[in-house]
Amino acid sequence: MDYELGEQADRLRLRLRQMVEEHLPEGFLGAFTDDPEDLAITQRFCKLLAAEGLLAKAWPREYGGGGSTVWEQTVVREEMWAHHEPRGPQYMGINWVGPAIMRFGTPEQQALHLPAIAAGDVIWCQGFSEPDAGSDLASLTTRAVPDGSGGWRITGQKVWTSYALMAQWCILAARTSVEAAKHEGITMFLVPMESQGITVRPIPNLLGPHHLNELFLDEVSVGPDDVLGPVDGGWSVIREALKFERIGIARYARCDRLLTLLREALGERWAELPAALRARWTRARVHTRAAMVLAYRVVDAQARGIVEDGDASGARVAATLCDQEVAEVLLEALAAQAVDDGRTRHPVLHGAIEDHWRYAQAATVASGTIEIQRMLVARAALAGEIR
Amino acid sequence: MNPELPETAIDFGAAAERAFTDAGGVDLARRAEAEPDLRARVVTPLLDQLGALDLSVADDLDTALAGGELCRVAGRCALPYPVIAVLASGTHDRLPAALVDPVVPRADHGDLFTRWRLAAIDGAVWEGRPEGPPLGTELGPFVVDMAASGTDDLEPVDVPMLLTLTAWQTLGTLERALELAVEHVNTRHQFGGPLARFQAVQFQIADATVAVQSLRELARFTLWRLWVAPLERLVDALALRAQALESAQAVLRTCHQLHGAVGFCDEHDLSILSRHAQPLLRLAAGLEATTEQLMAAIDHTGFDSLFDAGATARAAHNA
Repeated sequence: MDYELGEQADRLRLRLRQMVEEHLPEGFLGAFTDDPEDLAITQRFCKLLAAEGLLAKAWPREYGGGGSTVWEQTVVREEMWAHHEPRGPQYMGINWVGPAIMRFGTPEQQALHLPAIAAGDVIWCQGFSEPDAGSDLASLTTRAVPDGSGGWRITGQKVWTSYALMAQWCILAARTSVEAAKHEGITMFLVPMESQGITVRPIPNLLGPHHLNELFLDEVSVGPDDVLGPVDGGWSVIREALKFERIGIARYARCDRLLTLLREALGERWAELPAALRARWTRARVHTRAAMVLAYRVVDAQARGIVEDGDASGARVAATLCDQEVAEVLLEALAAQAVDDGRTRHPVLHGAIEDHWRYAQAATVASGTIEIQRMLVARAALAGEIR
Repeated sequence: MNPELPETAIDFGAAAERAFTDAGGVDLARRAEAEPDLRARVVTPLLDQLGALDLSVADDLDTALAGGELCRVAGRCALPYPVIAVLASGTHDRLPAALVDPVVPRADHGDLFTRWRLAAIDGAVWEGRPEGPPLGTELGPFVVDMAASGTDDLEPVDVPMLLTLTAWQTLGTLERALELAVEHVNTRHQFGGPLARFQAVQFQIADATVAVQSLRELARFTLWRLWVAPLERLVDALALRAQALESAQAVLRTCHQLHGAVGFCDEHDLSILSRHAQPLLRLAAGLEATTEQLMAAIDHTGFDSLFDAGATARAAHNA
């Protein structure tokens, strides 16, 4: 038994921290702000990562990746998330759009999209959720109908579409058969965001700019080459694609960084915090460690090819609840300064805590609600598949 | 990176569990309440046959993991024996060790040995002698008041090891309690179907499952840390104890709730598991007291993490 991630992983962590130190401005809080410079910073950072083969490091070598170990991939996830995701919206292309195209794409689609994603040249958004299809995604009603010449015309509405205003491409799920059972009539499309008939409307929201948008599609025309995977076989693409994301965001890494930094940032004020709050901080550190080792268990199972839905969901429940607990502890420690953000005068940690608290509200909602995760854990536990 | 237990530890735990089950499992604890001498008469030879009484957890990580597994399976059946105290016995004096609250020194199964090494979480050590028979209460059937006296010639007590093994035993109890709850909600029918079909029930099972999984992984991680981070043994072990106590409160509460009234009956294993676990959870320090100790330990040595180098890492870096 050994919990060291290995020398390669340790070296990678050091290198990533050097790059963060050198290339991110102090107080960087991610790409999703009103300041276009923040997006530009992430685009430059992606280029730097790509130049060292670190952006698509997790990919197989034949697709321009670095053929890294799962533990190196874990380090990338941890360091990027802990430092407010300096890959910006591009993490999604790397984490699962690219892998889905590797698995289901034609050679032409692979040649068109994979080098661009690996080089950090392109931003993808994801057109899944709809006003009446959230957790029950298979109820989606956006329609794609044949245009008579091999292509398709897509009409409908997507919602919560993150980065839609930044993206050049959208991986979109649409219904191609209304007669089939609801899971069987869905097809995946790779849609250029500049296509005629696409309208994006940002939704002002608590999480911050760019996180939530509406995406309207009105007779959007796509070619036969823009179908990913089999027609009417989109559900299996979605399921496979989501498998790449099963471990989810390394939320514990940012929790750990902010819990540690808070204490330093408060200096002598730390000792003046209510003892009960310091006790909560203490327990939050333990929960963060537990969430990390539970995530490591799932990564290890994935590496051995034995990961089950219930295990991955359990780790997500632990990580997302930890995220929200830490967010509350941190914000409470700021007292009246809790309402500062990166733009007010001298916010503690440049507003990172306020930013974390807002985004943590979505931890138990995004990428599969905690209710769905609990259902998956319970199903496995009640079937005796996990203990 | 490899979070798997070594085969030797798995095999040892499996052999111990078979032996405990063959000897009656939870019934041993049930019977021992009526006949306390069953502990020395039946359980001591059982452990002796397994080689558990000679297991030296201070030797190396693999042996410690075998000890951890022994504690876990002991927790699964509320084995009426101070397994942890024996595993942590002195290398030379072979005296069993227990963590105590110095104000009210008490040891679970304190009557089974005439001399003990008693330790406070801060490492202070006393010689302990049982002051009478077990209290025989619902929550402390084998808890014994101890007379603690100062002495210079006792071996130090490995407090972090005691704390860590306590969490492993608690883990076993929670695992078994949750298995019983799963079995119950799958087989108990109300309103025309099993309780398990209600989402309110499923979510409680899910949360308890995550709590047990988290504790299991942290218990393994912490035992490994005791070997690789010598300067942070106490802080790591206290963190594990805090997690164990918190999980125990939540999981046992859930399991009782899901069982309904039958779970309170001593003929049901849950009641025995729940009652007999209390000395482990309460005697040395409860959750809030443990958290306070942990906070002080973090002040002293840090808490190793991705972004907070602990004392061991700092020392290695400086060297």
